[in-house]
Amino acid sequence: MRPPKQFEFRASFFDLDEGLDTLHESVERLRRATGRGAEDRELMLFETALGEIGSNVLTHGRPAGSTRPIEYALRLAGGTVVASLTDSGPPVHEHLAREMPHHESEDGRGLAMARSLLDDLGYERDGDVNRWRLVKRL
Amino acid sequence: MALEVESRPAVNGVTVLAPTGRLDVAGAPALREAIGEAVKSGPNKVVIDMEGVSFVDSTGLGSVIAALKQIRSSQGELRLAAPNQQVRVVLELTTLDRVFPYYATVEEALTGF
Repeated sequence: MRPPKQFEFRASFFDLDEGLDTLHESVERLRRATGRGAEDRELMLFETALGEIGSNVLTHGRPAGSTRPIEYALRLAGGTVVASLTDSGPPVHEHLAREMPHHESEDGRGLAMARSLLDDLGYERDGDVNRWRLVKRL
Repeated sequence: MALEVESRPAVNGVTVLAPTGRLDVAGAPALREAIGEAVKSGPNKVVIDMEGVSFVDSTGLGSVIAALKQIRSSQGELRLAAPNQQVRVVLELTTLDRVFPYYATVEEALTGF
């Protein structure tokens, strides 16, 4: 039986540990559904970028007092994997073009890493939410 | 999935720390704490055995950079051993492989340390 060419996963979460577990579990399900192994490089690069944007969203996308969960979707269609994340944190436009920092810096690498690992990293401010779109051809 | 860090008793002045799990924004504090404990009371030569680390993100990497700075400030040295493919890719992407020469095994990292 040939592995399916399409895959879809949806979840919403609020807690940091639960959110990170869900993101990695979704990629693991995609691996199993499409017969890809842990050594599949393109999917590993995608998961690394997803971990970066996901941790930013989980860290900064939940303002104090907000009860709105983070919405997440992962899709594979036509050989391209697309992840969508929606959070209710403050706008992040000023951080998007951040370059890779100096070796001694302990933070600030996440967005630069994600940009270089993906075919496209989309971001838009939509009302009072941030919408992220991570795209990679597998 | 919480990161667990095993601290192996120092042999020949080198402490080996062995984290297991994801070294990410949730797991980084555990490694920071373990390194703090290791250099507070023991020798300032540390090997981090990365074999049990399934995934690293930039925050996890930041905890290793913090450890390197802390250990070098006391004239010590830090080595990484047995990183998986994902960890090696992240080190290369961030060019931190120039700062952290990594070793294939803990035994290799301990040789001549």
